[in-house]
Amino acid sequence: MPPAPSALEGLVVPYLQRQPWFLVYMARYDSGLWPAFRLADLEIVLDGRPGLASVVVTAADRPFHVLVGWRDAAQAPAALGDHQGAVLGMCDDGSGEVLCYDALADEELATVLLAVASAGSERATRARVVQSLVSHASLVYDERLFMKSYRVLEPAPRPEIELLGRLDEVGFEQILRPVANWKRNGWDLALVREYIPGAVEGRWLALTSLRDLFGRNIDEEKLRRDEVGGAGGDLSSEMRRLGEITGGLHLALAEAFGVRPLAAGEASPGVGIRVHGDYHLRRVFRTDAGWIVGGFGDDPLIGRSDDNLTRREPRFASPLEDLADLSYSLRQVATEAVAAQPPVTWAQAERLAKAWERRNRGSLLSGYLGVDGISRLVTLERSEVAEELKSLVAARTTAAC
Amino acid sequence: MSPGSRPLLDDPRWYEKAVFYELLPRGFFDSDADGIGDLKGLREKLEYLQWLGVDCIWLLPFYPSPLHDGGYDISDFMTVAPELGSVDDLAAVVAEAHRRGIRIISDLVMNHTSDEHPWFVESRSSRDNDKADWYVWADDNHRFANVRVIFCDVEQSNWTFDPRRQQYYWHRFYHHQPDLNYENPDVADAMLGVVRFWLDLGLDGFRLDAVPYLYKAEGTTCENLPATHKLLRRIRSEIDSSYPNRVLLAEVNQWPDVVTEYFGDGDECHMCFNFPLMPRMFMAVRREQRFPITEILAQTPPIPDGCQWGIFLRNHDELTLEMVTDEERDYMYAEYARDPRMRRNLGIRRRLAPLVDNDRRVAELLHGLLLSLPGSPVLYYGDELLMGDNIYLGDRDGVRTPMQWSPDRNAGFSRADFAQLYLPPLMDPVHGYQAVNVEAEQRDPSSFLHWLRHMLAVRHQYPQFAKGSFEVLPADNPSVLAYVRRPRAGAAQPDEASDAGGAQRSIEPADADDLTRSSDPLHPDWPTVSVLCVSNLSRFAQPAELSLGRWEGCTPIELLGRVPFPKITSKPYSVTLAPYGIYLFELVERC
Repeated sequence: MPPAPSALEGLVVPYLQRQPWFLVYMARYDSGLWPAFRLADLEIVLDGRPGLASVVVTAADRPFHVLVGWRDAAQAPAALGDHQGAVLGMCDDGSGEVLCYDALADEELATVLLAVASAGSERATRARVVQSLVSHASLVYDERLFMKSYRVLEPAPRPEIELLGRLDEVGFEQILRPVANWKRNGWDLALVREYIPGAVEGRWLALTSLRDLFGRNIDEEKLRRDEVGGAGGDLSSEMRRLGEITGGLHLALAEAFGVRPLAAGEASPGVGIRVHGDYHLRRVFRTDAGWIVGGFGDDPLIGRSDDNLTRREPRFASPLEDLADLSYSLRQVATEAVAAQPPVTWAQAERLAKAWERRNRGSLLSGYLGVDGISRLVTLERSEVAEELKSLVAARTTAAC
Repeated sequence: MSPGSRPLLDDPRWYEKAVFYELLPRGFFDSDADGIGDLKGLREKLEYLQWLGVDCIWLLPFYPSPLHDGGYDISDFMTVAPELGSVDDLAAVVAEAHRRGIRIISDLVMNHTSDEHPWFVESRSSRDNDKADWYVWADDNHRFANVRVIFCDVEQSNWTFDPRRQQYYWHRFYHHQPDLNYENPDVADAMLGVVRFWLDLGLDGFRLDAVPYLYKAEGTTCENLPATHKLLRRIRSEIDSSYPNRVLLAEVNQWPDVVTEYFGDGDECHMCFNFPLMPRMFMAVRREQRFPITEILAQTPPIPDGCQWGIFLRNHDELTLEMVTDEERDYMYAEYARDPRMRRNLGIRRRLAPLVDNDRRVAELLHGLLLSLPGSPVLYYGDELLMGDNIYLGDRDGVRTPMQWSPDRNAGFSRADFAQLYLPPLMDPVHGYQAVNVEAEQRDPSSFLHWLRHMLAVRHQYPQFAKGSFEVLPADNPSVLAYVRRPRAGAAQPDEASDAGGAQRSIEPADADDLTRSSDPLHPDWPTVSVLCVSNLSRFAQPAELSLGRWEGCTPIELLGRVPFPKITSKPYSVTLAPYGIYLFELVERC
């Protein structure tokens, strides 16, 4: 027999109130008092010892998802290993006292969860928690599958799940292929997708390139001519390839969601597509087989949004908006790298970083515009696109300031 | 057994774990003071190569030649160039090398001959002589119109007009190297005769030069044609039936999926060079990221059992950039060949040390990779000293200067007058023989030479390096390349064990997935030992966090110093890497 719903609710609510991600999320609505909590859904996933339940609690009518596991109190510490902070508390499961905790911290229960989330199609022997963000926790299974267990629930379909599914359908391969989606009561509870070990965020490659650039003596004459490519960590060929992938992504998005005319006053001539909408160097990953677009996620703490905690709704816009996001993130990374240098070198580092940014933006654009069929989406000449891109990046910079 | 004796093992798969050493006979050691290295000189220096720890020597062409292409323009396949010695001298070198446990393979140029070869002299003399169709002749130069010109710096066309015969002849390389016509079965028979002649003498195999071009056909690229593979299978069959323990190592400068076709179903070449990997090792270091290496290895198909890659950093040719994209080539030129003199055809004609700006750390990193990535490493003579080059010499002579033995006259290479030398030794203050030579580096226990020798000894202790499975470990830091070489059941054995046993071991089929058994069929109860290689491709110190959960509880042992590192736990394993650092660790499973 599992613990009573009221017992679980009684443990989950104070647990939520202790969680940094919950506090960050709720800070926006903080009126100085805790909102009303209510048990909105309970599913016993595994009855017994160990046991597992999916619990949804609403706070101020917003649904939050917690996976609760339980074991004999004597066994729990060993199962939790280094995650002793995951403990919710003791309760009675009808046969005696059990220790309840966040089930993701228990490797055995995490593997049960995979089987449930994938409706039995996937099994794994190893699981590890790799990331804990506001909107979700992430687990890696057997170094081949990745699961996002959503914490802050939203009505299905989440844009990420919808996008991944449609791109998969139209045969765009440079994504982490979706494997399964755990749904319940109109909510997406979890997404299981492919995991590629060793994939490196684009941001790290950019920082590697900048590190090399700053570590070299680039003479003034070369710098004046923007010849920073001689530095060993040159990123431009990678940016060209990323531009090609981005072009392919946009064509696939156009195929999956169609195109629409752009509203008057929107960026550039051409057509509107369902854009990625949050496309930056932490969303793209370099793997041994080239670049992939790894994230269509909607974590409110990632990205450039000036309104961090609102959901980013799907939107149709000029494909140049995504390119501008990516180009702007080149600028952000360059700024970050300059700031990490000793202050006395900032002036020189900034000049290098600007030349680096121009060079890589140009390569990104070259790769993008070289994709067969991209002229259906972007009708401007290259020089015009370059100017447009420059002004979009400038607008993002201004907005950030 | 006489001093220095180390008999060869009767091992048909010796090449899978061998360390090869490529040398230029005329550049190695001059025994008769005529300014040209020779076979007797080589014989004198075999002791050094045994000391270094090489298993097989690859001899650059020793055949008579007008030397318009470093001896690859052969004018007689059946003897030795007189300035290098005689066939008997070669037999003596082979016998002495075998006594020291070293095998010898030689270059064999099947695709073409020198235009001074009697076959071509006869063939061009008329249109109806006995050898009239031993070469590819045509009345015009229109056939095979879209076939690329390989030596594009100096040759405009693959056809050259012969005024005597009043016809064009086909040549994929220099115009003085006419291609043989294998459509004529007499040509293949003659070449098989060449193969038998040298194998009968005791050579352990051949490095087959320029094999993709043997057959030509209209409407194709004239490369990698099925008939070429058929001929290779015929040669292999001859070797398998009559010459055990010999090897065919193919030079196929093509993309990995094409190269693997030259292994056939294990019935063509035993080995092929991995050309695409080589420039990417340099590129990875300059870009400070692993992807150039991991990407090409991911694209490399598996090869049949009994086959092996030959991998190398530098050789007697330019650092060829045929197997990279145009953009990557521009990058490599910008980074490694700023002076146009350093470029040749589609490549960079430089030795290893100057390529890496004489940075010993990079040389160690690149050699560490060479000795641990999948394949049998091929060293190039002089690179063990970090010898330099001379870009002011023509063609590829800049990387073929005399071996630097000592600070004595002519680098200890020859007692001839300086003016007699086939090429001048290096005398610049950085790479010159006064500073860089075998004698000095042997005396210096911290020299690169000693480091490399130590590395070779370590490599010989771990058969995993030879035929172990290869798995890249994920690392967030793109400057870190980490991989595991894990033994396959029944794979090649360490040298020491084999030496002690003497007899040939039974070789079971490789089974990469069977991790429950020991890798050693004679000791099934021994634990499985994997080797973990972690390298930093950056010139700055780097942190790395590796997922080593499979080896939880193990204590990694660093191979060079046998230093135990902290025990592996369930958490990511942290390693701090020095600039260009490379560490090799032993991981014992079931511990």
